[in-house]
Amino acid sequence: MKVVIHTDKLSKYYGKGGEIKAVDELDLEVYEGETFGLLGPNGAGKTTTVHLLNCIIKPTGGTATVNGYDILKEETNVKRATGLLAESPGLHEKLSAHEFLEFIGALYDVPRDILSERLDNLLKLFGLYDRRDYLLEGYSRGMKQKILVAAALIHDPPILLLDEPTSMLDPRAALIVKDLIKKLADSARKTIFICSHILPLVEELCDRIGIINQGRLIALGTVDEIIALTGTKTLEKAFIALTGGVEEKELLAWREHRGADF
Amino acid sequence: MPTSKWLVVARNEYRIRTSRIRKIRSYFPYLVIGLLTVYVAFIAPRFVSIFIDDFLALLLSQAAIAMVQIILFLIFIYFMIIPITDTLREAQTEQLEIFLAAPIKPSDVLLGEFLGQMPFYAIFVTVITGGLTAMLSPLGLDIIQLVIIIAIFVVTFLSAFWIGTVIAALLRTKFGKTTRGRDIGKALALIIALPLVALVYGLQFGGIFEALSDPMASETVKTVLGLLPSSWGAEVFVGFASNPGNIGAVGFETLTRFGGLVTFFVVVLWLGAKAANRAYSLEPAIFTASRAKPDGAFYKTVKYLGGGESLGSLLVAIFKDYGRRLENLSKIAYIVGLIVMINIFITGPRLSEKYELGVIIPLIMIQFMFPVLAAFVAGDVTLRGKENLFIFKKTPSGVGMFVKARLIQGWLIVVPIAAAVTALSTSLSSQTTFISLLTNIAYGVLIAAANVTFVLGLFLLMPAFSEKSGKFISNMLIVIFVSIGLFLTSLFGLIRIIPDYYSIDQITRMLYVLLFQTALGWIVGLIFLFLGAKNLRRIE
Repeated sequence: MKVVIHTDKLSKYYGKGGEIKAVDELDLEVYEGETFGLLGPNGAGKTTTVHLLNCIIKPTGGTATVNGYDILKEETNVKRATGLLAESPGLHEKLSAHEFLEFIGALYDVPRDILSERLDNLLKLFGLYDRRDYLLEGYSRGMKQKILVAAALIHDPPILLLDEPTSMLDPRAALIVKDLIKKLADSARKTIFICSHILPLVEELCDRIGIINQGRLIALGTVDEIIALTGTKTLEKAFIALTGGVEEKELLAWREHRGADF
Repeated sequence: MPTSKWLVVARNEYRIRTSRIRKIRSYFPYLVIGLLTVYVAFIAPRFVSIFIDDFLALLLSQAAIAMVQIILFLIFIYFMIIPITDTLREAQTEQLEIFLAAPIKPSDVLLGEFLGQMPFYAIFVTVITGGLTAMLSPLGLDIIQLVIIIAIFVVTFLSAFWIGTVIAALLRTKFGKTTRGRDIGKALALIIALPLVALVYGLQFGGIFEALSDPMASETVKTVLGLLPSSWGAEVFVGFASNPGNIGAVGFETLTRFGGLVTFFVVVLWLGAKAANRAYSLEPAIFTASRAKPDGAFYKTVKYLGGGESLGSLLVAIFKDYGRRLENLSKIAYIVGLIVMINIFITGPRLSEKYELGVIIPLIMIQFMFPVLAAFVAGDVTLRGKENLFIFKKTPSGVGMFVKARLIQGWLIVVPIAAAVTALSTSLSSQTTFISLLTNIAYGVLIAAANVTFVLGLFLLMPAFSEKSGKFISNMLIVIFVSIGLFLTSLFGLIRIIPDYYSIDQITRMLYVLLFQTALGWIVGLIFLFLGAKNLRRIE
């Protein structure tokens, strides 16, 4: 199988002497047409990894190739080959959905004749066609997320980097996005790289997953392989076993107070 | 062939800026061009005819170059500051992610953002150059001279806008990534306007025009400002005015100054494009989170003043939340700065010595700043949003305690400042006695405390949940107009109430007016506070 994302000791350190290791010597391979999930608790380094793969920030050490392009030397080609759905991007809220998608399409050099039809189709897919001329400031969070998914797809890239794709969506919209991801992977042979801490989403969609904690990749494989690796029965338990969590007896410890009589 | 990326960004920026007028967007440019043509052809010539004689006399005077240099410098700084303050007020980097993820060069983003805003700045430039052309037309300048003067203005302002846009982009990246940074940005946005206000006050009231008639002062200003590109056009401008129709008379100056200006513009354009990579970056810059220190003597005193128990703790929490925002401190510094400038340039010893009322004039002037100070402090009550208010609404007797705490907090901040600035302003007058100093301080304190009461009530009665909201602006206007209205009501009310009003000496009369105004201020303030607290209980 063709490797489309390859990282070689990819690292991003911050602070004096690099004491904060946001991503630490990440070695990873993602194959063409695969849906890969990067799981991790908050602050584990998931978003930093996506930013590195999309050339938004530069690595402190190591390197990576995306669709065969070096992230250090071929930034523009990497960006053309990827569509990014960021975790908390700032939409241009004073634009309408149509204007915003038209702007993003122009940034990615989508030809005018294709762009016009494609953005109408995407708006119809997400049920926002009738509201295409409304300013984004009036959209709900879920509607904004749909627009951002559409923006990531507008230039029809071979690789999609999706950072928390369903975190703000209602169940109905989340289902649309999940079905879309499945369809893009199965029928359009897109490679999809999902970052999330929503375990059921990753479990349902991903062919393989990686678990990252404090910048280091601590597990890699299919869901079954990871469950077997930790000797647990569910991905949730496996995740807690690998990344740590609060024990049951600690849950109500905060109520204990010597001498308290209320 | 794909459209140039800077053009895509420029079109997008223009769309964002015109989103409020989307319905007329297609014919907006024609409308503006039409209106500007009418302005340049008809309105500007009539408007400038009011002061054309003074202007021409100035242009042909010995102080002309220094004067034009100062004016150009002021406009240059003003135009440079606009994009900076605009950005600092709302420094956000989230939208950068969209640009950085796309195949576009940072210099294209910078150029696009600059050009997208340019049509609006061009309106300002046209208004200024239109007025200027009208003022110069009686001199009989030929068309080439006029075109060069207009070109000088356009290049000078373009340079200012470009420098401002680059600095704004760099500051946005520096401050926009963290909450702390955004707070610093907002604080700076207000403070950087103060030196400009000082310069304008200096020009208006500080006797700069008179000072420039002294050849030595004029020469010094010319030498110092002559180093700045903003002033290079001044010599050409004055040279043309002195030699209408004869471009050769100042040919060398024209060539060197105008050429220098164009070179300067090209250089800053190139440097800005080079700086673009730094201006568009999402690399985190700060890794130290702010940490709270244990409460010191100040907060312990505040807690004590609040009664020590729950109210005291609440008061301390409100003080910390307010005081740890640099934006709030900069607002206070801004008002204090304005009051100091009023004293230096407008009232001060000169004015107070001229009039019998000299000892009270400073208080009368600065008391109109107290409502604004009160609004900056107590008007903040609802700005953190409804959710913040709900914290108090859902706790037992939370609303009453919250209003009390906010009132005490407002008084504890505003009253000492009012006392200090009143003391300072009054002491500048040579007529001041110890008694008059104490009287003025007492009035200042009482008026400021009433202002806080009124402002708190008003902002609770008509909550503004954002500084950009129409409610906030209308509340600020209400605060200012009520303050002026109370003073005028007291002034004219007493004339009717007291039969032999004019037989009383001026100072006593004014003290009565202030006393009446203070009493009215308290009555209005308490009524609004009662209504505001009632409304807070109803807010859903």
